[in-house]
Amino acid sequence: MSLLETRGLTVRFEGLVALADVDVAVGEGETVGVIGPNGSGKTTLFNALTGLYRPAGGDIVFRGTSVAGVEPHLIARLGMARTFQSSRLCLQLSVFDNVLAGMIAARRTGVLEAVVWRDRARAEMREALARATHLLGLFNPDLPARGWERVGRLPQIDRRRVEICRALAAAPALLLLDEPSAGMSPEETRELMKDLQIVRDERPGLSIVIIEHDMFVIEGVSARVIALNYGRKIAEGSFAAVVAHPLVREAYLGQERTHA
Amino acid sequence: MIVVLVTEALVFVLVVAGILAERPRALMLTAVAGAAALAVPAAVPRVRATLARAFDEHRVVALVGGAVGALALPFALRGSPYWTFVATLALLYVTIGQGLNLQIGTAGLINLAGAAFAGIGGYTVGLLTVSAAWPPWLAVMVAPLVAVAVGTVLFVPILKTRGHYLALVTIAFVFIFNVLMNNFEFTGGPQGIKNIPTLTLFGHRFTTAPRLLGVALPAHANFYCACLLVATVTTIITRRLHDSWLGLALNTLRDDEIAARCCGISITRAKITAFCVGNFFIGLGGALYAVMVGFVSPPDFDFGYSLVMLSVIIIGGVDSIPGVVLGACLLVPLPERFRFLHEYRLLLYGLVIVLMLLYRPAGLWPAGVRRYR
Amino acid sequence: MPPLELLLQQALNGLMLGVMYALIAVGFTLFFGVLDVIHFSHGDIYMLGAFAGLTALAAATAAGVGSGVVALAFAFLASILVTGLIGVAAERLCVKPLARASPLMTLLATLSLGLVIREAVLIFYPRGADPKPFPRLLPQGGFEIGGVAVRYENLVILAIGLAAMIAVDLVITRTRMGAAIRAVAQDAEAAQMMGVDLDRTVDATFFIGSGLAAVAGILSGLYYSEIHFIMGITGGVIGFSAAAIGGLGNVYGAILGGLVFGLLQTMAAAFIPRGSEFRDVVAFGVVMLFLIVRPRGILGARTVERV
Repeated sequence: MSLLETRGLTVRFEGLVALADVDVAVGEGETVGVIGPNGSGKTTLFNALTGLYRPAGGDIVFRGTSVAGVEPHLIARLGMARTFQSSRLCLQLSVFDNVLAGMIAARRTGVLEAVVWRDRARAEMREALARATHLLGLFNPDLPARGWERVGRLPQIDRRRVEICRALAAAPALLLLDEPSAGMSPEETRELMKDLQIVRDERPGLSIVIIEHDMFVIEGVSARVIALNYGRKIAEGSFAAVVAHPLVREAYLGQERTHA
Repeated sequence: MIVVLVTEALVFVLVVAGILAERPRALMLTAVAGAAALAVPAAVPRVRATLARAFDEHRVVALVGGAVGALALPFALRGSPYWTFVATLALLYVTIGQGLNLQIGTAGLINLAGAAFAGIGGYTVGLLTVSAAWPPWLAVMVAPLVAVAVGTVLFVPILKTRGHYLALVTIAFVFIFNVLMNNFEFTGGPQGIKNIPTLTLFGHRFTTAPRLLGVALPAHANFYCACLLVATVTTIITRRLHDSWLGLALNTLRDDEIAARCCGISITRAKITAFCVGNFFIGLGGALYAVMVGFVSPPDFDFGYSLVMLSVIIIGGVDSIPGVVLGACLLVPLPERFRFLHEYRLLLYGLVIVLMLLYRPAGLWPAGVRRYR
Repeated sequence: MPPLELLLQQALNGLMLGVMYALIAVGFTLFFGVLDVIHFSHGDIYMLGAFAGLTALAAATAAGVGSGVVALAFAFLASILVTGLIGVAAERLCVKPLARASPLMTLLATLSLGLVIREAVLIFYPRGADPKPFPRLLPQGGFEIGGVAVRYENLVILAIGLAAMIAVDLVITRTRMGAAIRAVAQDAEAAQMMGVDLDRTVDATFFIGSGLAAVAGILSGLYYSEIHFIMGITGGVIGFSAAAIGGLGNVYGAILGGLVFGLLQTMAAAFIPRGSEFRDVVAFGVVMLFLIVRPRGILGARTVERV
């Protein structure tokens, strides 16, 4: 059984059909790439999966449970984590704060421990900070030293890493990455691919779905690729098969003109 | 450690001198010294860094020193019952401010009905003690819970709406509260509720002037000590909440609600918690005010006071626990000190807030990075 | 069930009040449209308009033209000009610089600015704390239609208010500046890329909104025969509520919201026991309920945040 399965997923915005009848399946430990021109519905797919959009039709089954229309925070607690295209970090908060935010849902101490029985709260915090330090250090050994700095002061590549750490901090079963290489130079993109490898090494059983425009990244990390256009799935298969698919070529390059 | 103690002693002397100095020469001297004390750390980073480090390393000493100073204040002010009262009022604003700050600063919930929730606390005490003959201590403990209950009923339905709608609902509530208090007979109408009994501790009525350590203090010193205790506990509690999972969750949802939801944070739960805890302390401030002053009336809790509470937070520092303390300690006594400016008081309030927001939005004591101590 | 004549009577009153509220509400909604801000000092701009009008009338009297249409016209023009300019100044000093920051900052800044304006009038206007009598310039008396007493002053106020709203509607739908305002309201970035001067458009919006508030202020003075420096607090809250009920950002919604609020208030005052004391409670209570049930307003569009 797949970790994640969508059947006939449809999302509408007052008349505009953003996703139409999309079937996607992701198995455990799999890395699936999602490609498609701008406006093809890739981010909409992520937003529907994470519960930010309510599907107009179809179903989403995650870890055996139907999650269509479920609140985002409940879906997150089931084990789905994501990053955002325009990195949604809290820039005024520290690096540690941002990573720890991913651990809030799984916390065991509450208000009472914070105010009265502080030893338990402090112990849990120390453990959380240690985990954050470990995660940050995987990607950049200098990051934990900057843990108490405000995230806004970090360079963009480190901010992406912090966002990935926040997602990993939740110990998810499924990680959704939305265009992690957006705005990156080629060197930074190479760094990113190393980071993705680190993620796979650190969490071998983790399933990843990655939206990308950069075909190098997609080719380098995905076992399987799905292509979307105008809200519909137009191709699925290995990277080579998908990029050679006529509908995919048409989506990116336009129709081939027959020479008269 | 010497640095910490000397600084605190200096601050104490300046504060007392600033309050009590009457003769022009003494006043000038204090003003100059005070200005220098503020300007030097602000302008010279070395001094600021040294101070920050010293206070950070010797936190226990700093806190004990601060406690000693706060306890010594009524002795220094024993010649002036009026200023003892003002100092107590400042402490009430610390309590209210910490509650409001949790809502506005930490959680980003725009609550402009602070005056109404304080009013609920005050009026509940009045009604319970005068109409129902409850003992004042019990009334003061129950009143904040009433404020919380009303706030929950008011607030839960609008959790999903955007920030400025919440602002509007809270403004509407302040107005409604005022009209209702003015027009219901059982709340005393425009006259309010009079003769609210004062607190007693082991037979000592709080309206009687106490003798502590052999020194005769004005009657208000009783409430000063009680309010100091409450303000301290409130500050400790809000500080611990701020540095906990709850504080982090609130900051995250304040800065980016969508990211917070996708991290698994229950926005509804976090917002309700912040709103309720905040209203508890705001109501507590109002309740203590009622027993301290002995009567409550509608003009005591109108929209203008919501703005004063707001300015304490903005000027002190949004989401800054020490900032709120500083804000209250500056904003309550200063207008009283500059009596000749009394007419211009609100005008200056408004101007200062606008200028602060334009040029120093983080406040006088900006919130530092969370340290999870 | 109260008699029909009474209902119609109150409806007429309500409409008249509603027109005044609508004029303030349109300002709120325009400002929200172009800058995405709630301009909390707009209510005090309305109060400024009333005082400016009063001052203009005093000047006219001193010049010997104290009554009649000429004086009134002068008062309106002078007040619109002065209040409009002050509105623009407020926007440039205080609103636009903070528009990029969090909504909390703008809210607090504009609230405080309102306080400053209010206190300035209190302190600097001669005997500012007292309510000031406003000259009775409207024709007195009235007539009856089928048991409903219609007063001339009601009609004049309605007429002036409607004229102002029609004028604004024409500006917004038929002029280039109006098109620019609508463009910026929809998408400021795109509008700028199309060559719209953002600063000038925002200035114009604030001038128009403040000018409308000035008209409302003078109408209020004419109706109640007095103005008071605190009239902006309730005026502002009502104006904001009306704009919110109608749907923030939608000018017709603001007009509709103003009328609804005026009717609500009048009906509550007339038909609920002890209504005149509680009329504000009823009106605000309804607003609160409305925002809980349908926060986007009657004509408001559902906004989708970009993820």
